[in-house]
Amino acid sequence: MQPIVLGIETSCDETAIGIVRGRTLLANVIASSVDEHARFGGVVPEIASRAHLEAMLPAIERAVAESQISLRDIDAVAVTAGPGLVGALLVGVASASGLAQGLGRPLYGVNHLAAHISVDYLTHDQPTRPTIALLVSGGHSSLLQVNDITGSITKLGATMDDAAGEAFDKIARILQLGFPGGPAIDRDAIDGSASAIDFPRGLTTSNDWATRPYDFSFSGLKTAVARYLESTPEYVRADVAASFQEAVVDVLLLKSLAACKATGIDSLVIAGGVAANSRLRAVATERCAKAGIELRIPRPGLCTDNGAMVAALGSLMLSAGKPATRGAFDADSSLPVEQVSL
Amino acid sequence: MSISLAIDTSTSRTIVGIIEDGQVIFEEFHEGATDHGRALSELVAKALKTCAPVTGVVVGMGPGPFTGLRVGISFAHAFSLARAIPVVGICSLDAIAVEQSNYTVAVDARRKEIYWARYENGARVDGPHVSKPDQVDGFIFGVYPDMKKMVALAETQNVTEPMYLRRPDAVPTAERR
Repeated sequence: MQPIVLGIETSCDETAIGIVRGRTLLANVIASSVDEHARFGGVVPEIASRAHLEAMLPAIERAVAESQISLRDIDAVAVTAGPGLVGALLVGVASASGLAQGLGRPLYGVNHLAAHISVDYLTHDQPTRPTIALLVSGGHSSLLQVNDITGSITKLGATMDDAAGEAFDKIARILQLGFPGGPAIDRDAIDGSASAIDFPRGLTTSNDWATRPYDFSFSGLKTAVARYLESTPEYVRADVAASFQEAVVDVLLLKSLAACKATGIDSLVIAGGVAANSRLRAVATERCAKAGIELRIPRPGLCTDNGAMVAALGSLMLSAGKPATRGAFDADSSLPVEQVSL
Repeated sequence: MSISLAIDTSTSRTIVGIIEDGQVIFEEFHEGATDHGRALSELVAKALKTCAPVTGVVVGMGPGPFTGLRVGISFAHAFSLARAIPVVGICSLDAIAVEQSNYTVAVDARRKEIYWARYENGARVDGPHVSKPDQVDGFIFGVYPDMKKMVALAETQNVTEPMYLRRPDAVPTAERR
């Protein structure tokens, strides 16, 4: 019988519990405090932390019930140790420690970013192999070379200013589309023209390609949208949304495909909350097919923060014979992506 | 036989105790206002080696600085769930042992404020509150919850919500200028 791993994720505003058996998803329970943050236009750390504590036990109990197992059947516990909001992470780590010590089971403290990528392995049975990973969310935008998901990840590049999801949030706020901005812009853009306005693609000059080919920048784009709105009072909102979205999607994929080409790795995984964006999924499918790259994007429910991805990484580590985290550990709000586990 | 695991992280100390039928089997603390996570896990591992399986958990629900406070409560809740044993929350200030019957105790609330409560004949008659120290008369400071008293209190009280006493610092977008 494959081992059962329970994963806990609390790095931002989602209190998420996932349970897997080997690479089979048994439960993926998510309690979000997003509604409490909406009127603040962004996630308020203290509100998120309080909500995590309230939601934790009911979420664990629900995940266990949905999995039709008992807590005693769990072979290991995995938890996001970082990066993320430190107060929020600590609720997850303390809960995971209490659970693991209570059950007498090993505890894996894992990297949130690596977990996002590892969730892909819940969707197919192929063995783990090197891949390029584009990780795009509200807090992160990184291009990674994943040689071994359980231990060897190299950062090729990352955003130099805003994360892609953050850019969506900010533009949605300017367009008065509400928070979170990603789904709102995605919806609004459906009726717009992606080529209506030629917004800039950050860090794509020939000098950028020579010096920082895999880094991103979205602050110039944000400014360009704001200027456009100021100078065009009769702007068509759907066109702005669609053209902004196109600029983000275009640059993300240009750099991802360039990374595949340069490294000779013909596999691309896109993960993180922005991977739920319908335009990113469509354009990625098209361009990867043309370039002969195998593309995998987890279904939207597994792209945004979730516990299944944490359980997945814990399970992959367990099957690879990687040791559990030795002794007590703290949350690390700035855990580098190269450090897959503690 | 009752064996209680007592945990309090409402102060700069992480305190863990094992109380067996009213007797202190184990009590240790770690000093460090940002060390609760790591310290708690280590102290509990050590504590559990001193006794038979625990039959219940008692945890301090504050008031106390939020981040550390939540570490103790989260751990206690998950541990009791895993063991299928009850968890009882108590007011951490009530668990401070003072050899007087009428007194006021206070702990550091940061931001130049204190969390405090007043007791008469050993019972809380005012508080817990958060205030500037100069607004509170004659309080005892530099004191910490006592694990034996905490377990005794669990017979008569059960605080189910963390005692934050402060709202999160955040201003809605519409009110910003």
